[in-house]
Amino acid sequence: MKRTLINRCVATAIIVLPLLLASGSRVFAQNSNNKEVPVKELLRLPGRVLAETKSARPEGDLRLTGYRVEELKLPRTLNVEIRGQQIAVDRAWRVTVTGGPFPVRALPAVIWIDDQIVGNGIENEALSQVSAITFDSSLIREGGIVSISYGEDKETRVRVSQRVQLKGENQ
Amino acid sequence: MRHLRNYIHAFCLTALLLVSAGIAFGQVPDPGAPGPLAVTREEYNFGDTAFQPSNFPGPVELLASIHYPTNLSGGPFPLIVLLHGRHATCFVGGTQLLQWPCTANNSQPIPSYKGYDYVSEVLASHGYVVVSISANGVNAVDNRVQDLGALARAELIQKHLDILKTFNTTGGAPFGTKFVGKFDMTRIGTMGHSRGGEGVVRHYVLNDSVGAPYGIKAVFPLAPVDFNRFVVNNAALNVLLPYCDGDVTDLQGVHFYDDARYNVPGDLAPKHYVLVMGANHNFYNTIWSPSSPFPGATNDWLAFVAGGHSDTQCGTVAGNQRLTEAQQRGTGLAYMSAFFRAYVGGENQFIPILTGDAPPPPSAQTSNLFVSYHAPDDPNLRLDVNRLLNDTNLTINTLGAAVTQTGLTPYELCGGEAPQPQRCLPDQPNARQPHTTPSARSPKRGLSQLKTGWNNLTGNYNNQLPAALGNVSGFQAIQFRVSVNFADARNLADLAQEFRVKLTDASGSSTSVRVSNVSQALFFPPGKVGPVPKVVLNTVRVPLSAFGGVNLNAVRSVQFTFDERLQGAILVTDVAFASAPQ
Repeated sequence: MKRTLINRCVATAIIVLPLLLASGSRVFAQNSNNKEVPVKELLRLPGRVLAETKSARPEGDLRLTGYRVEELKLPRTLNVEIRGQQIAVDRAWRVTVTGGPFPVRALPAVIWIDDQIVGNGIENEALSQVSAITFDSSLIREGGIVSISYGEDKETRVRVSQRVQLKGENQ
Repeated sequence: MRHLRNYIHAFCLTALLLVSAGIAFGQVPDPGAPGPLAVTREEYNFGDTAFQPSNFPGPVELLASIHYPTNLSGGPFPLIVLLHGRHATCFVGGTQLLQWPCTANNSQPIPSYKGYDYVSEVLASHGYVVVSISANGVNAVDNRVQDLGALARAELIQKHLDILKTFNTTGGAPFGTKFVGKFDMTRIGTMGHSRGGEGVVRHYVLNDSVGAPYGIKAVFPLAPVDFNRFVVNNAALNVLLPYCDGDVTDLQGVHFYDDARYNVPGDLAPKHYVLVMGANHNFYNTIWSPSSPFPGATNDWLAFVAGGHSDTQCGTVAGNQRLTEAQQRGTGLAYMSAFFRAYVGGENQFIPILTGDAPPPPSAQTSNLFVSYHAPDDPNLRLDVNRLLNDTNLTINTLGAAVTQTGLTPYELCGGEAPQPQRCLPDQPNARQPHTTPSARSPKRGLSQLKTGWNNLTGNYNNQLPAALGNVSGFQAIQFRVSVNFADARNLADLAQEFRVKLTDASGSSTSVRVSNVSQALFFPPGKVGPVPKVVLNTVRVPLSAFGGVNLNAVRSVQFTFDERLQGAILVTDVAFASAPQ
């Protein structure tokens, strides 16, 4: 396997989240009282917008209109593995690409920032946005290029035209 | 003059082989032709939220169509279960939605499960009960789970089999006792399309893990994903690979075949795949095809592949080789029917279609496809000459005899276990080399292949046979899988390659057969855009009857002789003597 896709911190983003997601609605194991956060809840959890672009002119076949990066304050502390280490986290980041309608395909949507995979994209019901969640703050960086592919083939990525511009104190 | 003699010889041999094939297989009926039985179609529906797969974030419907012979007096009938793949679940007007149940104002379900009625009708007319399962509830949320819904799909199939068992034993609503005793739950075939393809494989493993309460005899993943690398052992397998798949562009489903080959010693199940040139992902389901009235129906190649229109093979430019919806469904109908009728229904007359010994039947509507076949692990049906699994096999083959080569460069293995390079074509994207495309949810490597080539007419690749194993007269053919390496400049674009297969016996007598006399598998992989061209190794089967003058009781070597083209490069694996299943 081409390890470049599953290396460093991205490996954790790819592997940890799906493993946590593996139990579906019983998703995010909590380290204290064994309660868990459903993925549905995580997708709907209000977030603090760190960066966002919106374009009135859709671009490309996917008719991309922008992205949104949100910081999520988790209702409970979670133990996750990041870069091979178990770490207690109380925050996550939700990266959402907007546009569409995004096709419902066999290959999953994958959201990237630069050459790092943020995670598998989950479509909303209207197919107007695709979101991925990561616990790795290092992926969220100023000037990063947000892109989306179907499957993990880098060559097929479609990028959002504007780079990540973190707001104010988040830079 | 020598060339002229060669051509005459080749012509005569070709004619002989064609005539032989005609005699041997000319009577193979068309498995996709409608049968004599009248067919009834009904549905059962226990509600949109009637089933909850384990650890899955949403409810799933229990809805299916059932096609069966109207006159049920001849039962019990073999059972075929179909499962669609991932697609939008609901619609309002021209807008598609991904939710379950369909709760948006005036929204309705997209009936993906109806998309294979064209197969169901034909199979039922031949005496099969065909159930097509709706799985919109899985589709709506499967990206939220680690295996992308494979287990949920497997559990859904098992739940439907439980329901069918009830219909078959005590009976139940909505059918009363109509089906009591009418389903043969020991003879079941499953077909899954797209993510449903992995679903039927996962289901086979699930059913096996609980003691195989249902007799799954044959599994047919159609344009499947293979995210998790589960393997079907001890059941017939046939994977259909559309060359112009615009969704599963890397044809990762070929792993199902590659992974199953030598996985379990004594596995008596045959394995097949069919590479359909000009076929895309969606046209196998009528609901997903552009002629469908439902939103979300697309020609996936054109919709999902950037610049796809301009491709000479899969696009819309003049001379393209794309199949129409009807043609493409013809290939699905023909090969699903042949497969299930042979391995579930015991209608062995269709096996030659599946091994490639007989041409595609008329119902396939194209002959531009390639059939691959892996014989059962039965010493009477398969003698592996060289599995080409590791570096040892470069000098000593699977039979323990010497392997030699002359003038081949490179002469190395790729694609298999480390330390082999993970990919055989390092500068090409994964989508162009399906056998080695990585799986995000499995560390498994891909297909080990011999990567080789030649620069003059003296090249050859030779596998010795031990004297004790030289009696191959009981086999039908010498076979191997091969693809032209489009990334090697020694192959001229759009020009087929050629070499000869030579058998030599203990007395030194030898006969060789040009590959092109028996197969078109040495084609230059077509296409220029995105996922194409791509290397898919297709089986070449050379009938042993073609090796006149060689004592098949005492064969001593199998040689590939590269003296037909000045240069070239190929990928090869699975050299074996083999026969069709009995």
